[in-house]
Amino acid sequence: MTSTLEAPPAEDIVIDVRDISFFYGANKALHHLHMRIPRRQCTAFIGPSGCGKSTFLRCINRMNDLIDGARMEGSLLLDGMELNSPHVDVIALRRRVGMVFQKSNPFPKSIYENVIYGLRIAGVNNRSVLDETVERCLRKAALWEEVKDRLHSSALQLSGGQMQRLCIARSIAVNPEVILMDEPCSALDPRATSRVEDLIAELRQEFTIVIVTHNMQQAARVSDWTAFFYEGKLIEFGATQQLFTKPASQQTQDYITGRFG
Amino acid sequence: MPTDTPRRYEISPFTRWVDRAMQQFIKIGGISIVTAVFAIFIFIFWQILPLFSRAHVSPSGSWAVPPGDYITLGADEWSAMPFLLDREGGVTFFRLDEQATPDRQVIPIPVGETPTAFAYHAKRQEIVVGTSSGRVLVAELGYEAKFESGQRRVNASLRTLPAVQVGLTGHAVQLADLDGSGAQRLAAVVQRVDGTNRLFAAVMTQRRSLVGGGAWRVEKPFDLSGELEGEPVRLLVNQRADSLVVVTRDGTINYFLREGDSLTLRQRWQPFPDTPGAGLAVVDFLFGDDSLVVINEKGENRIYSLYEQDGQGRLFGRTKEFPSLATLPAAYSKSLRNKAFLIAGEKSASLRYATTETVRWDGDLPFGVKLAFIGLKYDGLWFLDREHNLHRLALDDPHPESSFKAFFGKIWYEGSPAPKYEWQSTGASDDFEPKLSMVPLLIGTLKGTLYAMLFSVPLALLAALYTSQFAHPDFKRFIKPTMEIMASLPSVILGFLAALWLAPLVEQRVPSFFLMLFLLPATALLFGAVWNRMPYHVRRRIRQGHEFIAIVPLLALAAWAAWVLGPVLEQTVFIAKDLSTGQPVPDFRLWWVQTTGLPFEQRNSLVVGFMMGFAVIPIIFTITEDALSNVPPAFRSASLALGASRWQTAMRVILPTASAGIFSAIMIGFGRAVGETMIVLMATGNTPIMDFNIFSGMRTLSANIAVELPEAPHHGTLYRALFLGALLLFLMTFFVNTLAELLRHHLREKYKAV
Repeated sequence: MTSTLEAPPAEDIVIDVRDISFFYGANKALHHLHMRIPRRQCTAFIGPSGCGKSTFLRCINRMNDLIDGARMEGSLLLDGMELNSPHVDVIALRRRVGMVFQKSNPFPKSIYENVIYGLRIAGVNNRSVLDETVERCLRKAALWEEVKDRLHSSALQLSGGQMQRLCIARSIAVNPEVILMDEPCSALDPRATSRVEDLIAELRQEFTIVIVTHNMQQAARVSDWTAFFYEGKLIEFGATQQLFTKPASQQTQDYITGRFG
Repeated sequence: MPTDTPRRYEISPFTRWVDRAMQQFIKIGGISIVTAVFAIFIFIFWQILPLFSRAHVSPSGSWAVPPGDYITLGADEWSAMPFLLDREGGVTFFRLDEQATPDRQVIPIPVGETPTAFAYHAKRQEIVVGTSSGRVLVAELGYEAKFESGQRRVNASLRTLPAVQVGLTGHAVQLADLDGSGAQRLAAVVQRVDGTNRLFAAVMTQRRSLVGGGAWRVEKPFDLSGELEGEPVRLLVNQRADSLVVVTRDGTINYFLREGDSLTLRQRWQPFPDTPGAGLAVVDFLFGDDSLVVINEKGENRIYSLYEQDGQGRLFGRTKEFPSLATLPAAYSKSLRNKAFLIAGEKSASLRYATTETVRWDGDLPFGVKLAFIGLKYDGLWFLDREHNLHRLALDDPHPESSFKAFFGKIWYEGSPAPKYEWQSTGASDDFEPKLSMVPLLIGTLKGTLYAMLFSVPLALLAALYTSQFAHPDFKRFIKPTMEIMASLPSVILGFLAALWLAPLVEQRVPSFFLMLFLLPATALLFGAVWNRMPYHVRRRIRQGHEFIAIVPLLALAAWAAWVLGPVLEQTVFIAKDLSTGQPVPDFRLWWVQTTGLPFEQRNSLVVGFMMGFAVIPIIFTITEDALSNVPPAFRSASLALGASRWQTAMRVILPTASAGIFSAIMIGFGRAVGETMIVLMATGNTPIMDFNIFSGMRTLSANIAVELPEAPHHGTLYRALFLGALLLFLMTFFVNTLAELLRHHLREKYKAV
C-alpha cells in the first residue's frame, strides 16, 4: 500500500525518503517510510496527534539530534546526498533546510537582527548586503510595509501573526532549498492564518515547502501534495486534490471525513 | 427561599477562616522583616552618630577663691581637689563639695632660699621649683583617697625631694623644668649671671636604697650657654628626658637632643617665618611629647611634630595649622588623655584636637580668663578668671579623635613623614594616636573582592555555560547538586585550608601556579581544535555532551606539567640576588621583591583570590546555570534550525537572553565576596595596606570587625568605628545590589522572552 503511493510520478524530486524508521529510545515512532517530495511545491503532512508527522519533519533537518537517545534508520536523500550519516555537516544541512516552528520564536532582538541572524552567524557583516536582505525577505514575507519604520525596535512587540511572518522571513534570509513548517498557523487567529497561507502560496514558487498541519482545509488550500500519517506509518501520499476527493485508503477517508483524529 | 444559595455552594467557614488568618500571618511576617532590616540599619546609624558630634561644654559651678598672684591651675585625677599655685610657692587646695576653707600649703624650700621658677607636670603631679640659689627641687602633690563613713574623701599633701644644684650657686633660677621617667631625669635651668643668660642642664639619677627611692644626684652636667641666642622665655624638658626645648623672646625655638653623653643643639627655627617679629605666646608639648603646640601673639596656631626628614634624622616639622584665635591667648592647657589642647583668650576658649586638626569646641565665656586646665579624665574644663573665681565647665566629648577627616581623609600622624590613610587602632603606649582611617579597609575589601572575582567569574560562567548548553543532561543532574553542596561548605574550612595548606604551597611554587593559569586554558583550546579535526570514528567513541571525559585527563596532565615545569621556569627566568651571599639564586619571591620593589608575603591576595573565589564559584555557577537553562528552548531550536553552531547559539542567543540572571549571579557573588570574613581573616595577614599588589595581603572591613571586636570597649571610639565599618559594608552591598537590581531590570525588559 505505501509503496504504490510513495512517489508522485515524473516530478523533480528534492527529498527522497527510503525506508526511514525512527526511534525514541526503544520506542519506534516511524515505521519504514518511503516518500519522494517534489521540488518547488508544497507538501502537507496530515494525521492525528502523535502520528509521527512532526517527528518525520524534524528528521529532514536533523533537529531530532538534539533529543537524547533518538535514532534514525534508513536512507534520506536531499538532492542525492545522504542525510542519515554521521559525516553530514548538520550546520550546512540546516542552512539548506530551514524551519518555521509551531510557536513563533523570534529572538529577543530587533526585527532587523532577527532577519539577518542566519547571515550574521555565517559571518556576513557587509551592511549593504544585510540591508538588502532585510528588505527583500520582509517583502517576501509580506511584512515590509508593516515594519519598515521600526526595523530596529524589538521583534517581541509584534503581533502573533507578524512574529510568525518574521520567523518565515528569517528562515528565507539564508536562501534555503526547503522550508519545513511545523503547524505554523496553529497559534494564530483566522485573519493571521490567512495571511500566512497566502504567503506559503507565494513562497512555493521559489522554495520547496513541507508543512505539518492539523487543519485539513489548510492542507487542501495550500498544498500540492498531501501525505496522511497514522501511528507512525505513511498511509497515503498523493496529489492533494485526489487525496481529499478520492482517497485510496479507508483510513484516509475516515480521517478526512472526521470519523477520528 | 429562592434567594438562598444552596448549601452545596457554600464555602466552609473553616476555609474562610484559614484564608483570612494566613493572609494576616503573611502580612505580619512580611512587615516584620522589612521593619527588622530597617531597625538594624537605624541601630547601626545610631551607634556611629556620636562619632561625628562635637564636644559639649556646659557650666557646672563657680567658686570664689582668695585673691592671690596665681600662676598655675591644676587638679587631681578625679578633679575633686583643684589647686592654685602662687608665686610664693603656696599651693591652695579647694574642696568643692564642702564649704570648707581653702587649704593653703607652702612648698618646703631649703632655708635661706626662695622659689623663683615653677613648672607643673600634671601627669606625675609634680611641681618643679627653681630656687634663688640655682637649685631645682621637685614637690610631689600627694592625693590620698579615704573612705570616711561611706564617703570618699581626698586629702592632699605636699612632699619635697632634696634640692639638686643644676645651675650656678647664688644666682636665681629664671626658668626651670625637669622631666624623665624611671631612674633618670633631665633637669634644665635658665639663670641670668652678670647680665648674660645662661642655660644649664643636668642628667640626674636616683640612688636606690633598701627603703625605696633615695636622693637625686647629678650624673652629668651640661653648660649650654654657648648655644643660646637671645633671651629665653620658655623651657621644656620631654618625658623621655632626651630633649630640651628653649624658646627665646624673638620667637625662635631651639631644640636640643641628648644622645648618649652629649646634649647638643639639633634644630633652631622660627615657627611663624611668615609673621616675623611676633613673639610666641604658647609653646608646649602635646600629650606624648612628640609635638609642639605653638601659638604666637597674633593668635596663629600651628603644630610642629618630630618626624624623619630626609637625610637629617628626626626634626620638628610643621604638620598642622589651626584657625587663628581672635585674641591674644591668655591661658593654655593640654589633655593628658589624648591629643586635645585648650586655649583661652580674652573672653573665649577653644578646645582643639591636634591629630584630626579639628576644633572640638569654640565658646564665649562670661569672664576674662587668667588660667585654664583640662581635667585629667578629659571630663571638665577649669578656668580661673581675673576676679578670682574658679569656674568648672563639664566636658562631654567621648570621641575627640574621630571626625569625618579621621575616617576618610589623609591625616598627618605624629612621627609620620607625610599625611596618609592609616588604620591602627591600638598601640603600645598611652600617648598613642589611634589611626582609624576606613580607606585602607575599603581598599582591602575591594582588593580581596577583585581578586576573588577575577578568579571566580570566568570559571563559574564558563562552567555554567558548559553545563547548561554543552554537557549531557545526565552530567548536569550530577554536577548541579554537587556545586550546591560546595556552596554550603563553611568558609572557616576554606580559610583554614587557605592559611595552612594553600598559602605555604603557593609561596613555594608561584611560577607553577602562573604556568597553570596559562597552560590549562591553552590545553583546553588546543584540545578543542584537535578534536574537531579528528576523524569521525575517533570522535564517535565519546557521546556528544561527554567530551569532558576526554579532556579531564589532559587537563590533569597539563596541571602536573605546570607543577613540574614551574621550578624549571624559576631557574631560568626568576634569578634573584641572595642578599646574604650576593650570589644569584633562583627564587621567585626574591625576584619579585627585587624587580618590582613590592613586598612578597606568604598570606597574599593570590591565595585569597583562589579560596574566596572557590567560595563564590558555586553561587555564581548555580544562579547562572538556572538563568541559562531558563532561556526558552524555542530560541535554541530557532537558532540551531538557522544553521548556528552550539557555540554561536550560546553566545548570540542564550547568553544575551540570560544576561539579567547572569548579572545578578555576579552581583550576588560580589556581595558574598565583600562580606566574606573567615577566609580573609585567616588567609591574609590582615595588614591594612593600600596597594593592589597581588603578593601582599589586605584587611577587609569584615575581617577588621572580627579582629578588633575583642579590643573594642563598649561605646568607645573603636567600638563605634567598627560600627562605622559595618555601615560602610552595609552601604556597599546596598549600593551594589541596588545598582544590580536596576541594571537587571533594564536587561530583563530588553531580553524579555515572549
